Amino acid sequence: MKKTMLIILLSLCVIVPVLARQSDPEYPDDQPKVRFAPLHVFIDPASKSLAAFQFELKTISGQIKIVGVEGSAHAAFNEAPYYDPAALANDRIIIAAFNTASDLPETRLRIATIHLQIIGDAEPEYELDLTIAADADGKEIPAEITFETGE
Amino acid sequence: MKAKLKVASIILALVAITIIGYFAGCGEQRLLTSVGPTEKEEVKKQAAKDMKTVLRRRVPGDKQITNILRTKDESGISSADEEVLEESKVIFNDEHIYYDRFGRDVDGDRLSLHERKTGSGGIFSNSSSRPKITNGMYRIPAGGRKPNYSPSSRPHADGISLQKEKQLYADLRHVSADEIWVIAKAEVAVTVRDPETPGCGAMLAKLPEEEKEIPLPLKHTDVRGRISGYIATVEVTQQFHNPYDKKIEAVYVFPLPQNAAVNEFIMVIGERRIRGIIRERKEAERIYQQARSQGHVASLLTQERPNIFTQKVANIEPGKQIDINIKYFNTLAYVDGWYEFVFPMVVGPRFNPPGFTDGVGAVGRGKGGISGQKTEVQYLKPGERSGHDISLAVDINAGVAVEKITCSNHAITKTFKTKENVAVKLSSLDTIPNKDFVLRYKVTGKRVKSALVTHRDKRGGFFTLMLYPPENLSHLKRAPMEMIFVLDCSGSMSGKPIAKAKDAIRRALRKLEPDDTFQIIRFSNNASQLGPKPVPVTKDSIRKGLEYVDSLRGSGGTMMIEGIKAALDFEHDPHRFRLVSFMTDGYIGNETQILAAVHERLGESRIFSFGVGSSVNRYLLDRMAKLGRGAVAYIGLDDSAGEVVDLYYDRISHPALADVIIDWGDMQVTDVYPRHIPDLFVGRPVIITGRFSGEANTIRVSGSVGDLTQELSIGVDLDDSSHPGIACVWARKKIEDLANQAAYDQETDLPGQIKQVALNYSLMSAYTAFVAVDSSHKTAGDHGITVVVPVPVPEGVRYDTTVQY
Repeated sequence: MKKTMLIILLSLCVIVPVLARQSDPEYPDDQPKVRFAPLHVFIDPASKSLAAFQFELKTISGQIKIVGVEGSAHAAFNEAPYYDPAALANDRIIIAAFNTASDLPETRLRIATIHLQIIGDAEPEYELDLTIAADADGKEIPAEITFETGE
Repeated sequence: MKAKLKVASIILALVAITIIGYFAGCGEQRLLTSVGPTEKEEVKKQAAKDMKTVLRRRVPGDKQITNILRTKDESGISSADEEVLEESKVIFNDEHIYYDRFGRDVDGDRLSLHERKTGSGGIFSNSSSRPKITNGMYRIPAGGRKPNYSPSSRPHADGISLQKEKQLYADLRHVSADEIWVIAKAEVAVTVRDPETPGCGAMLAKLPEEEKEIPLPLKHTDVRGRISGYIATVEVTQQFHNPYDKKIEAVYVFPLPQNAAVNEFIMVIGERRIRGIIRERKEAERIYQQARSQGHVASLLTQERPNIFTQKVANIEPGKQIDINIKYFNTLAYVDGWYEFVFPMVVGPRFNPPGFTDGVGAVGRGKGGISGQKTEVQYLKPGERSGHDISLAVDINAGVAVEKITCSNHAITKTFKTKENVAVKLSSLDTIPNKDFVLRYKVTGKRVKSALVTHRDKRGGFFTLMLYPPENLSHLKRAPMEMIFVLDCSGSMSGKPIAKAKDAIRRALRKLEPDDTFQIIRFSNNASQLGPKPVPVTKDSIRKGLEYVDSLRGSGGTMMIEGIKAALDFEHDPHRFRLVSFMTDGYIGNETQILAAVHERLGESRIFSFGVGSSVNRYLLDRMAKLGRGAVAYIGLDDSAGEVVDLYYDRISHPALADVIIDWGDMQVTDVYPRHIPDLFVGRPVIITGRFSGEANTIRVSGSVGDLTQELSIGVDLDDSSHPGIACVWARKKIEDLANQAAYDQETDLPGQIKQVALNYSLMSAYTAFVAVDSSHKTAGDHGITVVVPVPVPEGVRYDTTVQY
């Protein structure tokens, strides 16, 4: 009888603090871990003047939320580019920008940075498509798009 | 026996360990997440809350009460904070006690004799309720006498309770001790913070006589507007900086025009520009909190009311500056030949009815939390000067020659680039943001033609139509009127605003015609009126009306619902056209409740709302007029009330075009707002917005004036009229329409519909928010301390009767 009582009480000593942790509504354990990281998008216009571009980014695996869109360090695309809000609702982002000024980039450059919230421990996999890149005359140019993740 | 004792002691020990373990479990969680000094302070204060006793020391003969907060700790009682408050003494003047809007006794702005003697002089009270004390105080004379009333049974100005109050006061006066200790207990959880400590919810403010530079997190606001036709595109830049040696989070509650379609939000860190993302509000708030706690620079813009927004910027490092760019579109009002561009600069102090917690609290600097409201604005005391200033420039491209430009509240400079293009700039001598910037300009020509502006993109076609009433209406005379004037006599109206409103009513009374009737209703904590029935216009009745208006003063709370009930439930004369004119600053926090009441009780009435003051609640006044199928006008403190009333009478002295129907011709039109086209009054165009497809040539508008039918045609050239902001203007109108509906329709999922429209068009709403995070850089340490930006009370508004402090 005494032993049973002791076992019950010892069990309580262990279980109650654990339950206390879990029952705190402000800090539920079912919330996945989140972190913030940038994804830098680069375009190489292959020695042509880059005046306009549009690309689409989505994840193949992993869960992300876009929390900001930053422009390029290059003056021609320094303005934070516009995104399509309708696409954002489907967990993807379509970004476009144009500039017809004379000082346009001709070499590989960081064209935008997408600020992300990454949910969970897994590293997401991304799919990046360049819809179009064009010069100041509106002619399509054979550019290449790549990305780099940062921490 | 020994064994039993041993077992019992083991059990007791284990129970004790279990209890300790339970709290340790919670405590560990708290410690894990409570990383900031502010939060630690909050936790400490929360823990001490129940042990805290607020003691007020009254020194006989002294004009002040010393408020001492004492916190019990292990060593007994230790003084934590001490502050000197204005005396809130009980006043016995003509057997009445006067209160401000928070239930504090005030010795200014006495109510009139008519008001004090309820029921006499032809005054009929609509409510017998007395103002309630929200920060009730138990007064205990020396010797620890038990209080003889509670906060909920605050003494009335009647027999027994007044006797007790007098007796108590007499006791207080004759106490020989040096001190009288008064124990006060607040109804709401009060977190009094030290206003001199950065990061405790308040900032230091610069006093005019002080030489030293006193920092504020909001350094400057820059406003740049471009007006094209009747659509304005406005960019607002708020410059936040951190002059401290620790990281801060800046919080700023600020106004924008009530019809602003906010669709761009950019956070600027040095040369880097990060575009904010529109998200469902709770999601955006969650993202912001997570970024803040992880040390990322982040910003969040939320909408508290269509004209009140909160800006938060987290993790501003010492010495760093972060700018926030906000862009919006809005349509300009066109009133009696003048276009009007308005930029509000400060949120006026709102009154929230007892028991209401979803309002906008008005509290003194460093008194965050005492209003018990969801949103709070902290105000600077009279004599305190905010370091924050404002610059403003507007570029007008009217399309036709600009004839006149005026700005009644501010000093401006004007530069005519061409006849149609004018650059207007706020004078560098007038940069204190404590009143609305109101710019009016008149274009050449007797009247402006109805005009259609369109925009097409991949989402389809959008249009706005500014519809003017037919010119020949001005030749017709109006029918007899039943005029009801409703005057806001609350504390915030005291002084200049109520004087302006009274001038307007006097002028209006003198302009009434013999077949008209009238009524005057006043409201503050309750409502009362001139007479029980509509008063026929005679020389004698007008004289009595003028005397009644003269007797009214501003004092007490803004129980606008009482004024609404009194005005709209009032017996209607079916032979006359009823116009209800509200004269108010609209400083209330329960707008939704008021709009629902207007919708429910409107009947045959038309509402004309007059905003009186330097920074009025335009959202409320506009919505009341729209719901009431009337119009709105604004009387600034420097405006002539007479001129405004004359224009109003010009407008209503002609019949309105009612039952308006539009034949859109070849345009296929959908989603038109407002859903019901209001009556068209002379001099008051109506803006209609919608979606369209197909082509357009001629639009035909028809309506009735009594038994007559009137028609007008509008020629349309779609190629000649395009503006990129039209889609946002349309979406904003749709949100407004859904929000209006939400005031009285609780069943439909209107919040869900509003949210969807806002997300699709990247627009701010009550259910969406902009969030921006700089994920590429993590600042060191925890998230720092929160600093609320205090603002001045609007010019002409009294701090002592409108702000909780």
